[in-house]
Amino acid sequence: MRRLEIILSRLVWFIPTLFGLVFVVFFISNVIPTDPARIVAGENATEVQVQALRVEMGLDQPLYVQFTRYIADLATGDLGKSLYTQRAISDDLLHRLPATLELTFAAMIISIGIGVPFGVISAVKRNSFVDQTLRVLSVSGLAVASFWLAMELQMYFSTKLGWTPLNGRIGGWGPDEITGFYVIDSILAGDWESLWDTIVHMLLPATTLALPAAATLVRFTRAGVLEVINSNFVLYERAMGFPTPLIIWKYVLRNALISTVTQIGLIFGALFSGAVVVEAVFDWPGLGTYAVQSILQSDTKAILGFSIVVGVVFIGVNLLVDIIHTFIDPRTIQ
Amino acid sequence: MNVLKQLLSDRAASLGAAIILGLVLIAILAPWIAPYPEDVTAFHLSERLQPPSAEHLFGTDRMGSDVFSRILFGARITISIAVIAVGVSVVIGVPIGLVAGYYGGFGGGFLMRTSDVFLAVPQIVLAIAIAQTLGPSVENVILALSLTYWPFWARLVYAETNTLKKQTFVEAAKALGASDYRVMVLHILPNTASAIIVRTSIGMGATILTAAALGFLGLGAPPPTPEWGRTISEAREYLPEAWWYAAAPGLAIFLVVMGFNLLGDGLRDILDPKLRKGSR
Amino acid sequence: MKPTILALCSALALASPTLGVAQDRYVHANNSGYDTLDPHTVFDVARVATRLNFYDGLYRWVDNPPKLIPWLAKDHTVSEDGLTWTFNLRDDVTFHDGSLMTAQDVVYSTERLLALKRGAGSLLLPMIDPGQTVALDDKTVAFTLKEPSAIFASLVPNILIVNSKVVQENEVDGDMGQKYMIDHIAGTGSYTLKRYDPARGFVGERYAEHFAGWGEKYFDEIEFRTVLETNTRIQGLMRGDYQGLDGYLAPDQVERLRSDEDVQINEQESMRVYHIAMHNGRAPLDDKNFRMAMVHAFDYDGYINEIMQGTVARNPTIVPGNLWGAPDVPGYTYDLVKAKEYLDAYKAEHGDEIRTLKIGTLAGFSETEQTAALMQNGLAQLGINVEIESSPWPVISSNMQNPETMPDMVPYWKSTYYVDPNNWVGELYAKRYAPTRNVSSYMNNEVDALLEEALVITDQDAREKLYKEATKEIYDDAAGIWIYNTKWFGPYASNVKNVRFCPVGNGQDMRWAYLEN
Repeated sequence: MRRLEIILSRLVWFIPTLFGLVFVVFFISNVIPTDPARIVAGENATEVQVQALRVEMGLDQPLYVQFTRYIADLATGDLGKSLYTQRAISDDLLHRLPATLELTFAAMIISIGIGVPFGVISAVKRNSFVDQTLRVLSVSGLAVASFWLAMELQMYFSTKLGWTPLNGRIGGWGPDEITGFYVIDSILAGDWESLWDTIVHMLLPATTLALPAAATLVRFTRAGVLEVINSNFVLYERAMGFPTPLIIWKYVLRNALISTVTQIGLIFGALFSGAVVVEAVFDWPGLGTYAVQSILQSDTKAILGFSIVVGVVFIGVNLLVDIIHTFIDPRTIQ
Repeated sequence: MNVLKQLLSDRAASLGAAIILGLVLIAILAPWIAPYPEDVTAFHLSERLQPPSAEHLFGTDRMGSDVFSRILFGARITISIAVIAVGVSVVIGVPIGLVAGYYGGFGGGFLMRTSDVFLAVPQIVLAIAIAQTLGPSVENVILALSLTYWPFWARLVYAETNTLKKQTFVEAAKALGASDYRVMVLHILPNTASAIIVRTSIGMGATILTAAALGFLGLGAPPPTPEWGRTISEAREYLPEAWWYAAAPGLAIFLVVMGFNLLGDGLRDILDPKLRKGSR
Repeated sequence: MKPTILALCSALALASPTLGVAQDRYVHANNSGYDTLDPHTVFDVARVATRLNFYDGLYRWVDNPPKLIPWLAKDHTVSEDGLTWTFNLRDDVTFHDGSLMTAQDVVYSTERLLALKRGAGSLLLPMIDPGQTVALDDKTVAFTLKEPSAIFASLVPNILIVNSKVVQENEVDGDMGQKYMIDHIAGTGSYTLKRYDPARGFVGERYAEHFAGWGEKYFDEIEFRTVLETNTRIQGLMRGDYQGLDGYLAPDQVERLRSDEDVQINEQESMRVYHIAMHNGRAPLDDKNFRMAMVHAFDYDGYINEIMQGTVARNPTIVPGNLWGAPDVPGYTYDLVKAKEYLDAYKAEHGDEIRTLKIGTLAGFSETEQTAALMQNGLAQLGINVEIESSPWPVISSNMQNPETMPDMVPYWKSTYYVDPNNWVGELYAKRYAPTRNVSSYMNNEVDALLEEALVITDQDAREKLYKEATKEIYDDAAGIWIYNTKWFGPYASNVKNVRFCPVGNGQDMRWAYLEN
């Protein structure tokens, strides 16, 4: 019953939070010094043409009317048209979402793959040389500017050594898009060459993205594992003569898993926002590149749509994590 | 005093403190210690893109200016962005968290829900939206970061206040007739200080990274400002040949953020015994 | 295991044509996105490839110096009064769906261009009203202009012909097919659309039945891919990922590409004048002495020889030096002593106080930033403070079109949209184009009379004289700071041959080029 209550209270807050988000971003984006109608009209338009467009786009209306219209459109999933390209923003964002999600998931796998084992090692070999080194490395991982690391990795591995592709998601055009996730699409099409090409293209961007998250995970896993190791029941089992590896496997990892899941919402957010900059460096055709392009073109409507979509994904993931959490860690319900 | 002693005994934390101290000194003394202080605005077009040498420690940039000197001046921008943005966030976030946590109820809930709205989107996304709207300048970067960063402090203080207000010493103070204001400022706030300090140190590092990213995306200071993020994006066109051009500001960012993170870690260990037990 | 291996083999077999063995393929890395395929709503150099390769116009610009050749039209006549232009169309032109192109398609395309009011439409609107284009028969079309025009012929290539039947079939709520045309093409052009992804670019497949025929060698497939980062484009070309790039590169990049033997640099005189527009309507820049101080405060030699490493030619006025109509003047020089004298003259009249000047630069275009920094440096030595504000092009361009928000100075390029001095001197300094294209608020009645006359008479020699005179006067007025005329450094893989460069289109008209093995 308590679980249902928690889930429901989260769900109830979803809509107001989203509304607040739209409200904030909408009004922020309307402080803009540019005239959207002029951007749409193009460089050579006359004043009369621009004025006509202003009326057509509803820009002559007061801001609250524009906001009400925006909300009404949003309710039907319509984010408006890009000022610059005249494309439907929701289509553009949906089309690019899989690219960003694929990259984020790849980075998540890498960060968990690095973070959890090293966190466990660090805790088990507490205060050893390994632990100290890992501590320094994890602090470093959080201190690197990801766009800079991306550039340096690209310069070294792609330009100098030629081991990895320079940019993009795939060399040619890839398999027909079914899900938009190239790994899945390649497998569905049985196109192993594309699959390999996709993975190779993901290596550098996903690694760049994963490093700070891996560093966070190392730290949390270490703390989580230490807590368990020092707990009474582990001390008891150890006293009973159970072999250490078994204890670690049986109790420590299970508990480490819980702390990792708790962190996933956080990590997902970090990865997802990190993608904005990393994508821009690697020409990854996802949401981040779209956002950066929209910035360069001052496409306020597109940026507004982007913020909302990211917000929805973000709130959604956190909601999901909270719900999962009530299942795997019963303590939260009490 | 005790805190300081403990801090100095922690090698990592004192390293962090030393880095930050160095940064502050560099920022203040930049005009005197930079080998070519005039290079912030002056150019030597015939000396463009020269590799590091005794004359130019970190080489020269696309306008023939000394990269090392510009990095030193860049420290001023970095530190003022971080200090002001975090300062404003603390000034906004702490009172909100304090009031919301102390009174609770609908008003408190509303304040916290407002902060949730800001936390609903990754900070950089919101900062991008704001900075892009207001136009590229250092002031707007600071504004964007402050507007998106205060909820972190509000959340933190809210949670602390919520626990503290049920403690006996608060109850006692109230029983003795202390006003709400007095209880909040004299009894609760000092007890949240350590958490605020730890969060602030780590927040500085994060803010510097976000500010650099905004600079990299062209949303920060206009040229020829020697801002580090902007310098990296300028340098990109000249890679891999002019490797020093991008390497220097990247390493500077790394070092400074590392300093704040190490210090924050050390402070957490010292000031927050609960966490200390877990992580040591 | 067996099915997997089989699948792998078949995948490899399928993949091999794309590896470039059987078919010749050209991959171009472009510096901005192809977010629409509609030929009537955009009119910029960055997205010219879709218009050139998927569509045709009645005439076409080719080669350098640019010349107009008959294309979908065989020829044309102009009535005595200069108002009615009659074009005779070819009878063998087919759209990609196989249907025959007729005069009706030309009428529809023109009306669509005028109705959408974007792209080239806004250039045509001042000359011709909607409803003034008539199909006299299937193969003859007549345009009736509002007033005689010397430059209408130059604009005709921008009327790109769409398949009226296809577009009309796909109209939604009277949008003239705008929604459809963003993602589809309906043209007669040299290539047909094979794949399109607004996030990545497009692939075109050769249209074998194109009316102009094909040479012995050609590219079977062309791909234009969006690669925003300059450095990535350069590295990709050197690695062999791409066969060509956009040609306006910074000299450091050109230098780097020259050192690579797998890359050729196709160097061409172009017509893209780089200048600093000054706000002539706002104090202190409304004073000629002050402007004279400005034009002497910019380090032209330093900029051209050091930053541009001598890869561009000094252009003393706004008209490209390699075009007719450019007057013979020496060009202002970097001379702070002279600048000081003019400034003193200004101060004697208006007092010593000079406000901080604002230079707007184009975010992401490092040349404009470097220019502004150099100008700031020069003016600092005269005791004038300069504030630089960098904004994205759409922001700055919208600010420039309003005299209230136009910064004091903006460095930018004036590219070739049509080859006529009016493209440069007319649009930038004639009253009729203020404030949208004449962003300087430059108003000079004498100059205006000359420029207006040049627009309506058709005698070439007389026009040349008028343009020379007007441009000289603008030069004497120091209305702007004119810096250089760009050279085009088209970087291609060494085995790409016969790229026909034209300043209109920047060498992205791919039907002539081929691969030599």
